[in-house]
Amino acid sequence: MYKGYAGRILRVDLTSRSVKVEPLPDGLALNYLGGTGFASRILWDEVNADTDPLSPENVLIIATGPVNGTAFPPSGRYMMASKSPLTGIWSESHVGGHLGPELKYAGYDMIVVKGRSSEPVYLMIDDDRVEVRDAKNIWGKDTRETVKTLWDELGDRSFKIACIGPAGENLVKISSVISEMGRAAARTGIGAVWGSKRLKAITVRGSRDIEVADPDGFMQLVKESIRMCTEEFFGKAAQDTLGKYGTPCLVEMLNSIGRLPTKNHWTGVFDKASLIGGEAIRSRYRFAQAPCMACVIQCGYISYIRHGKYAGTITKGPEYESIFALGSNCLVSDIEAIIHMNMLCNLYGLDTISTGKTLSWAMECYEHGLLTKDDLDGTELRWGDVEAMIKLIEKIARRDGVGDILAEGAKRASEKIGRGTEKYVIHVKGMEVSGQDPRAHKSAGLSLAIAVRGADHLRALSSIEELGFTQIVADRYGEDKADALSDRLSEEYKGFLIKDIEDLYAITDSLIVCKYGTMWPPIYYFDHFAKLIPLLTGMKEYGDVSYVRLVAERISNLRRCFNVREGITRRDENLPKRFTEEPMPHGPAKGHVCNLEPMLREYYQYRRWDYETGLPYRETLEELGLKDVADELEAMGRVKRREG
Amino acid sequence: MRRTLLIDAEKCTGCRLCELVCSFQHYKVFNPRRSRITVIRDEEKGVFIPMTCLQCEDPPCMKTCPTHAIYRDENGAIRIDYEKCIGCKLCIMYCPFGGISIDPVTMKVIKCDLCGGDPECVKYCPKGAIQYVRVDEVGVKKRIEGAKKIHERIKVIMGGES
Repeated sequence: MYKGYAGRILRVDLTSRSVKVEPLPDGLALNYLGGTGFASRILWDEVNADTDPLSPENVLIIATGPVNGTAFPPSGRYMMASKSPLTGIWSESHVGGHLGPELKYAGYDMIVVKGRSSEPVYLMIDDDRVEVRDAKNIWGKDTRETVKTLWDELGDRSFKIACIGPAGENLVKISSVISEMGRAAARTGIGAVWGSKRLKAITVRGSRDIEVADPDGFMQLVKESIRMCTEEFFGKAAQDTLGKYGTPCLVEMLNSIGRLPTKNHWTGVFDKASLIGGEAIRSRYRFAQAPCMACVIQCGYISYIRHGKYAGTITKGPEYESIFALGSNCLVSDIEAIIHMNMLCNLYGLDTISTGKTLSWAMECYEHGLLTKDDLDGTELRWGDVEAMIKLIEKIARRDGVGDILAEGAKRASEKIGRGTEKYVIHVKGMEVSGQDPRAHKSAGLSLAIAVRGADHLRALSSIEELGFTQIVADRYGEDKADALSDRLSEEYKGFLIKDIEDLYAITDSLIVCKYGTMWPPIYYFDHFAKLIPLLTGMKEYGDVSYVRLVAERISNLRRCFNVREGITRRDENLPKRFTEEPMPHGPAKGHVCNLEPMLREYYQYRRWDYETGLPYRETLEELGLKDVADELEAMGRVKRREG
Repeated sequence: MRRTLLIDAEKCTGCRLCELVCSFQHYKVFNPRRSRITVIRDEEKGVFIPMTCLQCEDPPCMKTCPTHAIYRDENGAIRIDYEKCIGCKLCIMYCPFGGISIDPVTMKVIKCDLCGGDPECVKYCPKGAIQYVRVDEVGVKKRIEGAKKIHERIKVIMGGES
């Protein structure tokens, strides 16, 4: 058994309410590392194209990686994966806090949940004691009351708790799972998977050791890594921005480069950005810093509103993505309203990004007369109307009236309503676009188009050219490409870049290390992980950067193959016309559109997949040790052979 | 002069890195339950209080130990002599702060030993919430910290930079 891991998988069948503990196979660690890597293999093996995401047959994975629970920064994280009820394809969502490490201390690297309970239940994990317990008394409660009730029941507040709110229970397709009263695994409607299984919560407490292969070497690297995250150039930058403001520091930074999505991604400049940015929050509402486990960057924080209409509002964050989605995206400049709506979404268990984007879609439709007051249960949904938004957030969570339609997410809602409302849905593969604008940051367009879970900023978004880290670009990719790569408004070499970044994050998401430290600031790269993984696990193979890249590519490919099996082709790897045809109206990127096609073609070339069809080449999969995957896809006619 | 831990709960952000480096220092593993320092956390309101042994001048644990297994070492740390300890847990019961706990792996009584005079938690705390100071300077250090807070308030009130 390799070190770093807890060494066990917990399998839970909610239909029979039975649990089983299995050893973690060494081969899984060696070939797939952890987190998203584990999930890619298990979901490929145990889910198929016929699996309904909300059926008992769908598999819910709650996974950690080998680094979680150690002192390596920043790694207080875990992830969930499944087949998405929102998109019908690959689903994964990552979340920080203390629960992931706690799961390792309890002795489990991963929980694999199947089946459906006849009654609401929660999963109680206390080291070797694992019980599927009755949850009737907490079903219907919001995510804060649920935790408080469970703490009382369990008699110990050191239990780490993740749960769904009413939205997940009601199978809202843009629902989240909320960890520790405010940390969200939100995207792809993962909350509805919990709801469909009638799994209200998991509670975790553990007291086992996490061992590492080379304790002294590992701790030396931890020290060096802490220095990189706090001192040196990027470390200082992280402290001055993320450490001081949290992710809201991005609001003004991105507005200044014309990339703050505003008015349903109509433009990238919000003239009131300073009212909803880092300093606006820090000066009046930032109440406490509340980082993930063992983090030295510490972006996590808590907001509290003392006076006025929203007095008493207390919430984690709001994070940048929530501020954009509920703020500039809906033309809301009232930061107190944004903080309050952030809290509401967390309490109901809603994805703030998809909720904000579904509301902004409805607002734009309302503006153009495609949706009327009658369609919206008497709500006049004008831009920036906070009261209307709050009313609709509540309706979505409860699937009440028009909320029942909006709860399907913007794409499905527009399909139900028709009348040309499809035009204003800003999505990729069924998931609403996050807080980037490809017109002002060209490679972000490719990241969104190719991401395995739909419009996604966390699988392949590159910050190195976005924020002008030219030296890093030159160090990683060579001086010759540096100028073109460093230009965020150029499409050149971006296919090459995004393939590289997607692979880097495949490792990041398997270890599991935070994106703050890899994406931005770009502190760690493959070489650092090649040092880390052998010291941590004892797997010498990972000491070779080319082996780390091989595993990264394997994971990237297997996740993409999951989508190919679901019927995804190159046509789905596309962007909304807003980004490719409507020139950016304002700011530094004024006049720009995103020219996706050449970037996409280059991406496929480096990914070694067929551009015309969007299918993988058998040879590529075989080189990555995925012959069985190629065979299964071939039986469906969904794999290509390289010609001659 | 003996030194002791001076903990400023207002600076603590609850990351628990101190717990991890404590368990690593003593066992070369990561396990917060084996740490001799524990951050008591109110996750909702963001209140975090690190709790550990305060190395009392007149320690109730030492007085109550029936086998005289508790002693003060040359660094001023209150230590346990495991040759004499019978595991009765009276020391845990009499400590007013929860400074002593049970190691869940060995089931032995454990407590802060100041890492032999060079405490790891002090070195790693990202917020500088734990200092290792001369015992006779504890009060002065607290006064300086208090003065800094008042100074900040004055600047805010006078319209200077905060």
